[in-house]
Amino acid sequence: MNSFMKRRDFIKKSLTAAATTAALGGFASRASASGHLKIGVMIPLSGPAGLFGPASKNVSEMAAAEINAAGGILGRQVEIVLGDAGLSPSEVAQTALKLWRGEGCEAFIGMHDSAVRGALINVFKAQVPYVYCPNYEGGECADGVYYVGETPAQSVVPSIEWLAAEKKVKKFYLIGNDYNWPRDTNAIAKETIAKLGGEVVGEEYMPFTVDNFDSSLAKMKETGAELVIITLVGGASVSFNRAFASFGLSENVLRFGTLIDENTLMGIGAENSKNIYSAAGYFANVQTDAAKAFAQGYASKFGSDAAVLNALSQSCYDGLIALDTIAERAGALDTKAMDKAAEGMEYDGPRGHGTMKNRHLAMDIYLANAVGAEFKIVQSFKNQEPGNFCKA
Amino acid sequence: MEAFATFLLNFVYVSAILALVALGLAMVFGLLGVMNMAHGEFVMLGAYSAYVVQTAQISFFWAIPLAIFVSAILGFLIEWSVIRHLYNRAFDTLLATWGLAILIRKGVEVVFTRDYKSVNQVVPGTVELFGVNYPAYRLILISIIICIFVVLLLWYQRSKVGLRVRAMVQNPGLAAAIGIDIAILSRVTFVIGVSTAGLAGALLAPLVRVEPYIGLDYLLSSFFILVVGGLGSIEGLLIGSTIIGGTDAVISTIFDKTAGYMSVLIISILFLWLRPDGIFYRR
Repeated sequence: MNSFMKRRDFIKKSLTAAATTAALGGFASRASASGHLKIGVMIPLSGPAGLFGPASKNVSEMAAAEINAAGGILGRQVEIVLGDAGLSPSEVAQTALKLWRGEGCEAFIGMHDSAVRGALINVFKAQVPYVYCPNYEGGECADGVYYVGETPAQSVVPSIEWLAAEKKVKKFYLIGNDYNWPRDTNAIAKETIAKLGGEVVGEEYMPFTVDNFDSSLAKMKETGAELVIITLVGGASVSFNRAFASFGLSENVLRFGTLIDENTLMGIGAENSKNIYSAAGYFANVQTDAAKAFAQGYASKFGSDAAVLNALSQSCYDGLIALDTIAERAGALDTKAMDKAAEGMEYDGPRGHGTMKNRHLAMDIYLANAVGAEFKIVQSFKNQEPGNFCKA
Repeated sequence: MEAFATFLLNFVYVSAILALVALGLAMVFGLLGVMNMAHGEFVMLGAYSAYVVQTAQISFFWAIPLAIFVSAILGFLIEWSVIRHLYNRAFDTLLATWGLAILIRKGVEVVFTRDYKSVNQVVPGTVELFGVNYPAYRLILISIIICIFVVLLLWYQRSKVGLRVRAMVQNPGLAAAIGIDIAILSRVTFVIGVSTAGLAGALLAPLVRVEPYIGLDYLLSSFFILVVGGLGSIEGLLIGSTIIGGTDAVISTIFDKTAGYMSVLIISILFLWLRPDGIFYRR
């Protein structure tokens, strides 16, 4: 009897608590609708990509502060709410749902992998605007989603053309981790190689757990590869590139990748970086006025020993600026209006001039060569088209 | 021919470093029955010791005593504060050391951030051997590892301490009865075990990537080796490393890396299932 009473009590109490929470939750989101504009910022705070978390957070805060100084978005001051995007897609989807329905976030930006993006698109279902920031394999055109990152058509194609012409390479070897970004990127790379009359002498995809690349390096030597296109990510890329150089391959064989960023290069090390090329819309070392001003602003706000900038973390800045620009053009945070307003939207940022076409951003791309532990820009490709994935 | 020579050298190299990395775990797990989940973290600390030495701009040689010193001190503290209360409770040691592993990783993250660190090659360049240009430092490392194992084998079989350790492993009660101080001996074994892990980290640092999370990789491969080779003997450890390293090298060369990695997993599963004590079992 006693325990039965307790259970009834418990049920009654928890129901009351739930109702109170719901009421408060509703109140909170109504309050925010008239006051601050909350933006969910989905960046990796844990997991393998957690390395990019601190810089991504800094850059997002910087963008929010600048937007607020200029009057906010649609006249409302912006407040960023961080969500960890370094977990599994289903966990990140749960977090995003909480930020959206619970915390009252009215727009999202994301810097994470494609699997998480797929999960978030499923959660948002075009009911809340979502800007996907980093470079990705291309091919999407979801409603209410705006892609500001580089696609292979923008970064991989012109870089391979340039390297083939300048460095006279004919034999290509493709190595990547085994998931959709490397495979889709290489599919486009192979088209370009075929067009140039080059030959693909090897193509390999590695499980994420692999950190010994001896057998692949032996094959690269045997096949006489002249340019290795690397779509390994993070730690795998570091381990591979170090072993590659230790075998003396770096003297004569070129390496190219679109995810070899400043952090990865630091791990590869100055003495192992010879003949590495990387392409992206941003490098910490880009010497345009806009990029220099951005890097200086970052250093003065967060100190000279703040987390290193790279194209991935910097993309969060562009994500927030793009969200601001599209929302202002649309006059509301409504995805239908924003989808229309996004087409032809333009802004100037640290990367230069960007124009949105078919929900993707046409922009300048830089090709950089590693000199020691730093990237030096060797070529810029102006106003690269992202490709059109919105055809019916 | 050249390809075959490269393959052979790679095979010897990978077996040697696997044996070196697994050595500490084999001692701690095989002799004391402590499942040290923080084993990889000692390898990581060894690698960071090499980075610290490089940052201080002193000779790489100092990385070795520093790595051993750091691992030994930390190993001593861990044994004294946690492990000694948990002997004969294998599962509890697993949980406790897993917690410690997280603590060590996070500690290193606080001090050094999550950024990748690069430790310079001590002996850069390649050497021609059997008609193949092979990284010089790898060849040096193989020689060092062979020396370490020869010394260790002799010490374990010939020295008085080795004899006492073997007595303790075979019959702790009887060993204590004839006046062997089991508590001290266990502590020494644990400290030496984790110190070899630190040493492995320092020696490997110029070749591998250095970041707070590398320990997990080393822990996993070490467990595979112990599963195949069996516990409690140096022969088993060497055979385990050769089988795991060799299978991966052969299958990866013939097919691809995915097949190579899968074959390692399949072998480990088969051993756990059909021969859970491994090839060499001495207890």
